[in-house]
Amino acid sequence: MGNLISEALSIGWVALASLVGLLVYFQVSIHDPAAKKRAVFKTFIGIIATFLLFVAIANYKTNFYGESRLLPVSLVMITVTTFLMALYFTNLSALLKIGGLMFFIAAFLSGYGNWLPQVEGGFPPVEEKKTWDSMTSQQLADEGEKIIFGGVGKNQEQGAIGKGQCPLCHAFHAGMLGERAPNLLGLPNRKERLEDPKYSKGNPAKREYAVKESFPGAGTAESIQEYIAESHACPSCYVVSGYGVKGTNDKESPMPAIHKPPISLSLEELAAVDTWMYLREGVDPPSFEDIVKSYEKFIPEADRPKQQEEKAGPPSALLADGTEPVDQILAKAQCVSCHTIPGIPGAMGTIGPKLEEGTTAAQRIKDPAYKGTAKSPAEYIMESIVDPSAYVVKPFPDNTMPKIFGQKLSAGALKKIVDYLSQVKVGAPPPKIS
Amino acid sequence: MGRVIGKRLFSIMALCAMVGLLLLPIVVAIPSLASGEEAIADGAKKEGDKVEKGRDVYYKTEGVVVGAPAPKTTDGPKDYPRYNFESRVLLWFANQQHLYYGSFVLAVPIFCMIIEFMGVVTKDKALAKRYDQLAYDFIKISLTAYSLTAVLGGILIFTFLTLYPAFFSYLSSVFRPVMHIYALMFVAESGTLYIYYYGWDKMKEGFLKWIHLSMSVILNIIGTLLMFLANSWIGFMMSPAGVDEQGRYLGNIWHVIHTALWNPLNLHRILGNMAFGGGVVAAYAAYKFLAAKTDEDRAHYDWMGYIAMALGVAFLIPLPFAGYWLMREVYAYRQQMGITLMGGLLAWLFIIQATMIGILFLSTNYYLWQAMGRMRGAEKYQRYIKYLVFLLACGYMVFITPHTMVMTPAELKAMGGQQHPVLGNYGVMSAKNGGINVIITTTVLSFVWYMRGNKVSTVSWAKFGNIFMGVFFTCAYINIIGLAIYGYYIPANVRVGLSVPQVTTTLSCLFFMFALNSMMMKGAKQMGPIEWGKISARSQYALIMLATAFTWMMGLMGYIRSSVRLFWHVNEIMRDNSPWAYTHTVGFAANMISANVLFFWISILFVFWLGSLAAKKAPVEAKAAVPGSVPQPAGSH
Repeated sequence: MGNLISEALSIGWVALASLVGLLVYFQVSIHDPAAKKRAVFKTFIGIIATFLLFVAIANYKTNFYGESRLLPVSLVMITVTTFLMALYFTNLSALLKIGGLMFFIAAFLSGYGNWLPQVEGGFPPVEEKKTWDSMTSQQLADEGEKIIFGGVGKNQEQGAIGKGQCPLCHAFHAGMLGERAPNLLGLPNRKERLEDPKYSKGNPAKREYAVKESFPGAGTAESIQEYIAESHACPSCYVVSGYGVKGTNDKESPMPAIHKPPISLSLEELAAVDTWMYLREGVDPPSFEDIVKSYEKFIPEADRPKQQEEKAGPPSALLADGTEPVDQILAKAQCVSCHTIPGIPGAMGTIGPKLEEGTTAAQRIKDPAYKGTAKSPAEYIMESIVDPSAYVVKPFPDNTMPKIFGQKLSAGALKKIVDYLSQVKVGAPPPKIS
Repeated sequence: MGRVIGKRLFSIMALCAMVGLLLLPIVVAIPSLASGEEAIADGAKKEGDKVEKGRDVYYKTEGVVVGAPAPKTTDGPKDYPRYNFESRVLLWFANQQHLYYGSFVLAVPIFCMIIEFMGVVTKDKALAKRYDQLAYDFIKISLTAYSLTAVLGGILIFTFLTLYPAFFSYLSSVFRPVMHIYALMFVAESGTLYIYYYGWDKMKEGFLKWIHLSMSVILNIIGTLLMFLANSWIGFMMSPAGVDEQGRYLGNIWHVIHTALWNPLNLHRILGNMAFGGGVVAAYAAYKFLAAKTDEDRAHYDWMGYIAMALGVAFLIPLPFAGYWLMREVYAYRQQMGITLMGGLLAWLFIIQATMIGILFLSTNYYLWQAMGRMRGAEKYQRYIKYLVFLLACGYMVFITPHTMVMTPAELKAMGGQQHPVLGNYGVMSAKNGGINVIITTTVLSFVWYMRGNKVSTVSWAKFGNIFMGVFFTCAYINIIGLAIYGYYIPANVRVGLSVPQVTTTLSCLFFMFALNSMMMKGAKQMGPIEWGKISARSQYALIMLATAFTWMMGLMGYIRSSVRLFWHVNEIMRDNSPWAYTHTVGFAANMISANVLFFWISILFVFWLGSLAAKKAPVEAKAAVPGSVPQPAGSH
């Protein structure tokens, strides 16, 4: 308070000194005692009002950018000041009362705004102009690791995930479980894949997969780098045995094309990812240009996404921020790879249970084996997303579903998923996507 | 006779010449604009046949690239020179003040046009004079404000040029011809306004009066076009078109102007300006009423306040529907943008908006109840007002209750679910729609009571009419509230559809009950005159509250519209790389809006005060010309 008063005096001392001077002048110059008393009293009121005004201004000035939510108090002080003045300056009474009311309304609304929960939109990500072609292999590999795991050195962290979202399905280290997709350890040396008759090197028409080649005329890979590029661009051109979409006899891959939405890695980013894959195993990677060329073979120019800096998205380490429709959220979080979800395009996964929570959630809560804390279907669904091991549907194994979604999906995204899934019922038409 | 016809012909020719001269620069500019694209393409061909083409980001058409890409700015003195203060706040302030004054001076001539027209067509000569004087008073207020608008416009441009040079340079390169036309139209607007104002006395009789009235039409057309052009800039910033992905202008100026959000913004702003203008004039009248020394002045300003309030509220009622259209187009353009507004980062601001809408309607109702006090015969309705208060209070409480809010996972965990354990059970959409519809229907009922306050219907079917109205309103309330409750028992996606019958019910009340009431009150027996001026001072404070709340809401909604671009100067085209590319907290925004509102009102109260000084110096005969030396009822409401 002391600081506020001294700040007020430092701002308004000229006005206050003038009023004090006026007070002295009236004392000296007015001879009629009644008129003198009136003038002095009014000036005194004026001094108090002016002081309050400057305290209010000082409060505003001091706390303008601070965390203080008491700025509307300034407006209340001005309101009091104005009504006080209106009492004694009757010729301006209407104007002052109107002003006082306006300050009061502003104070109320401002106070209301400060009383509500304070949400601040964060800064956008720093726009870095990456000169990919001049990076060293190590720099490229670091960028690749960031894309896969979200940061340099994070490849050993359980649950670390980056823009590429690869760890959602793939394992990268020896002994790690890779139920949904092959473990990628040793990939740079897997030349035998090219020799697999099912791969049908040089003759894509003979392939028995859902997609024969990446685009008409793309052909097949001639080198391991081209094989990696083709796998990213056209996952269903060759499916490793045991990792196809259930029911397709391994003819179709659950993996999305990485250069297309929702992941949309640019060719340069893919080159960085591949470089990390080589370097971490001590294998010399092909040059940046060669890797990019290998992708150009399988991704037509029209389908190549722009580089990240030209298409900067909002600041987020989230897989989905809740602004997307629910089908996109489920796709971005890769739920569709493992679960069948009625009404969601492409959600034909069979690694996890079919999600008809409008019917099943209530039954599972009643299951004696259920040890979770949910009391309602909505709570159960939320629990299943953020803590999948709280209840594992039989006969599916535990620890298959990542436990990262509580951190990687915004509350809005989680709510949309819960809202949608709670409306999906067995035998009923799927709900509308919103 | 021949002399009179000659005079008329001369007047028409003079008017046509004036309009022609005012619009000449624009007419000359249009063909060059229309042929601009071809000329550019031809020029490019001649320069060596290296014509680069780009695809329009919105219209998806191909065009010849004729502009430079949007600059990629960096934080530093080159792109973001600054004082030791947040540049964005300075720009916010300059922009908001210009907008307030701009809205006011665009709205007031529309009021003048309506009121002057009412004066011209009214057969009652005394009343016609009153309307004419009122229109003159309105334009007099706006004249000083007009100069201030121009000054603030200059300050705004200098603020842009000095604090955001890279952005403004890009915007002006895309809108170069539009900006020139804007400047020329501003000249046309000024010329017309001054001739309109200073020609008032010279053109007050007969045919010249019609010419004078037609000038107000021209004035408003120019003013509205001016606003449309200014809207095209903000429309482009929100939903760019006419440029390629890099922001390069593709030569089609219509595409740049006619963006996805341009038309809804235009409609929303016209209605908003009118409601705002009504509020400011009503506040002016309230100030004059409170400061009036004579009964005559009080009567005049009481009447002026009523007319301004009624016009303002008439435009306030359709405003939410224009708002719905704007939001629908926002969602259609970018769903993400719509969600950021209504269910994301900016959602809390809409809670404040709901509060403000409630305040606006409560103030309007309060004013009407107070206004019944100046009518003999209206006492019979006074005892029912407490029930209206109850309905309004209940509707308001339901309307402002939030259902789901944006939360972080931590907040979600702390709350124990997506909704608050108590409040989460309430505030669903159909209930909130029910709340606001109850408020609007009650306002309609207040208006109906006010309109029949001092009258007794003399039509033979009066009893049946009264019973019908009572039953209609009762059924309306039952339907609105019943659907609001029913909404709790059905899924969210079905519940949304309940808003249609609820709104239809309210609109039915609005149109049918007003129409029926007017029919019943035709030739009605008057219990006594409306004693203009005999109204409580509190009613005038209700008008002040209405005006201030509307100003605040305008600042709030403008902030929401602008901040939804997040960190883009031009959405998805030109990034904001200044240190202020984040969105402020709700509290900061509320403080800033309050500061803007108060600055505007302090400055405009100063303008009013200046106006009163001029009135004091007016010659005695001018004063004597003010009609209504004895307070007269306006004849109709």
